[in-house]
Amino acid sequence: MPVITLDAVSYRYPEADRPALSEITAAVEPGEVILLRGPSGSGKSTLLRCLNGLVPHSTGGQFRGRVLVCGLDTREHPPRQLGTHIGFVFQHPDAQFVLEDVEAELAFGLENLGLNRSLMRKRVEEVIDQVGINPLRRRRIDSLSGGERQRVAIAAALAMHPDALVLDEPTSQLDPQAAEDVLQVVLRLVAELGMTTVIAEHRVERIAPFVDRIWTLDAGVLRDQPPRIALAEGGARPPVVDLALRAGWTPIPLGLRDARVFAQRLPADPTPRPSPARAEGDFRDGAGPVVCRVEGLDHRYDAAPAVQGLSLTLRRGQVVALMGRNGSGKTTLLRLIAGLMRPQRGSITHDGVAAYVPQDADSLLFAPTVDEELRGQSAEVVAPFAAWLHRYPRDLSSGERQQLAIALMGARADLLLLDEPTRGLDPAVKRALSAYLRTRASGGAAILVATHDVEWAARTADRVLLMADGEIYADGPPAMVLSDSLVFATQISKLVGRGWLLPEEVPL
Amino acid sequence: MIRHPLAWGAWTTAALAAAFIDRNPYLQALLLLVVINVFLPYRGRRRAGTWKFALALALVPILFSAALSRFGQHVLFTLPAVPIIGGRWTLDAVAFGASTGFALLLTVAVFAVLQTAVHSADFVAILPRPLYRAGTTVALALAFAPKTLAAFQSIREARQLRGQRTGWRSAPALLLPLLLTTLERALQYGESLDARGFGSGRRSRYRPFRWTAPDVLVVVASVTAIVAIALLPVAPYNPYLDLVPAVPNPARLLAVGLLAVPAVSASLSRVDHARHHA
Repeated sequence: MPVITLDAVSYRYPEADRPALSEITAAVEPGEVILLRGPSGSGKSTLLRCLNGLVPHSTGGQFRGRVLVCGLDTREHPPRQLGTHIGFVFQHPDAQFVLEDVEAELAFGLENLGLNRSLMRKRVEEVIDQVGINPLRRRRIDSLSGGERQRVAIAAALAMHPDALVLDEPTSQLDPQAAEDVLQVVLRLVAELGMTTVIAEHRVERIAPFVDRIWTLDAGVLRDQPPRIALAEGGARPPVVDLALRAGWTPIPLGLRDARVFAQRLPADPTPRPSPARAEGDFRDGAGPVVCRVEGLDHRYDAAPAVQGLSLTLRRGQVVALMGRNGSGKTTLLRLIAGLMRPQRGSITHDGVAAYVPQDADSLLFAPTVDEELRGQSAEVVAPFAAWLHRYPRDLSSGERQQLAIALMGARADLLLLDEPTRGLDPAVKRALSAYLRTRASGGAAILVATHDVEWAARTADRVLLMADGEIYADGPPAMVLSDSLVFATQISKLVGRGWLLPEEVPL
Repeated sequence: MIRHPLAWGAWTTAALAAAFIDRNPYLQALLLLVVINVFLPYRGRRRAGTWKFALALALVPILFSAALSRFGQHVLFTLPAVPIIGGRWTLDAVAFGASTGFALLLTVAVFAVLQTAVHSADFVAILPRPLYRAGTTVALALAFAPKTLAAFQSIREARQLRGQRTGWRSAPALLLPLLLTTLERALQYGESLDARGFGSGRRSRYRPFRWTAPDVLVVVASVTAIVAIALLPVAPYNPYLDLVPAVPNPARLLAVGLLAVPAVSASLSRVDHARHHA
């Protein structure tokens, strides 16, 4: 018997004019791993919330069809009863905890089940080992990082011994290392417990090799396909799949390991990518007019240095990607350049207007309509948003909000400073953002983007800075910086090497 | 370490009684020492913000008293006859303000200790069953306060970034986005509670509270202290009558000293720990 059965499910949010889901029929068999893809706003969260009854119990609206979870009809059983069958992990790491410390949090669901103490203790110990969070057990929730919180959330869900885990973009708010840690946990549960899993995830390249089926949602319509067919059709997919389709490799490799065999068939001695910068010895930061010059910058919080002895020149016409692990000082550097903080030592000289878009662009939007947000902007800035003018900004998808915030803030800027603009965006929106930044740069602006997204940076940037411990330790064109790195390397550069970063560049 | 929320409740009651009733500087100083010692084992859990706030709060009555009161013999200096602050500033008035400020400081410190030592969820856990849902709701609301503050700061900064005013007059414009952000978060919390089976009727406890010997000792000491503080003659301090405070009754000193039991128990358990590891 399937763990979850969806039978002609249609759903419309209250006061919405279009259905969020239409006529969805699918099933999840025990032990299956299902990847749910789709552009943002396509109904992924809505669909996942149907699986534990949050839709329609907590949302209201018009629900047709039937969802059966272990034989229970979600229309008759509220989410709190379905909680024993479906372990649910939400997208935002900070909005799902109730108590103050990790161990109490793990036991919270079990207390609600009314289990006796010795059984609770056993379950808690087991999930601590299963998820590998023993070092965190006595920590307070508010002292945990986003990735640690998501692992605790998974453990808390697992403690209920659910029949299936449902994860709603659990890594979209995390940096790559934390995201990797969280996905490791999920993949381990799949491998060791045969955990039935439904996961919505943008990091397709990481989990594609492990999934049994892919569900692709588009405007509320679901396609349920085997992975190779779904990935060949399009949507979010790993770069190796793009390369495989170009090169005609069959069966399509889903991950690096499968692809290695095929990669050996590539021409053995293609000319390595021309790399003028390397030939010249050291990299020059470009030729455009200087828009911002940073010299000998120092900034520390309490005792910890965030930026130290940093010098940097930003020129018009360049998109510069600033990369580095969390806490390496990227955000501090952006805020210093934006003038939100005063540097403790060193100088920053601007020739033009700087604009900064913070990570959480949502807080920038607070007018009742898009129209009012855009009031006073030039027609050129307003034009791309013509279709949404009467909409409420917070109802836009995260990609649309990001786009609006960047347009608002950056309209008149000579230097655009962006902090993690691609976090949680789907591929189409990322491409649009990339195109927008390229256009702005060729129009004479300078752009500095702090990002963790290697593939996107490789596609967008003219220059990459790697930052660690408050210092810039690598500076150069992407082909140089991103190709001889272990951490900041694209999937194609890991597979092919020789300075090639993107699937469309590789000579066949 | 003392764990039982009721033991902490008893300690807090006794410490607050001492802070409110006794204005004698010797007793106040002793109480401050006691409270600091009780706090020390938990110091990692709290940022310095509370203490800066408490000190600032303590300074207010000193300033007010010194600036507004014209009584007292020990004149510090005399300002020309400007309204309100003109005239003689006296040491007596400063001492009077300091005594009140000290009491405020002690009150904040006692609550800070309570908040740091006991999780709000533990208080919820000892509530009787019918109050459990209401209690959890309150605990959640309390947990929300700092998050709302953080949201407020990010919205303020966003306005600043967009070149809008951020002064007090723009507060109404900040309020709406703040309310929206808070509501969105609250809905997410609600969904998470629901998904984790909250309120399904059954309920058990993962960490039931057991009365340990130190817990009982704290309750006994606290109750004794409350009784002593209530019954023994009060040690008042009126700097206008006599700037130099009287030496308090030794029994009263002892009563305040009893409130150090949680600190003693914490240091004993640390020694115990060290021995286990050795």
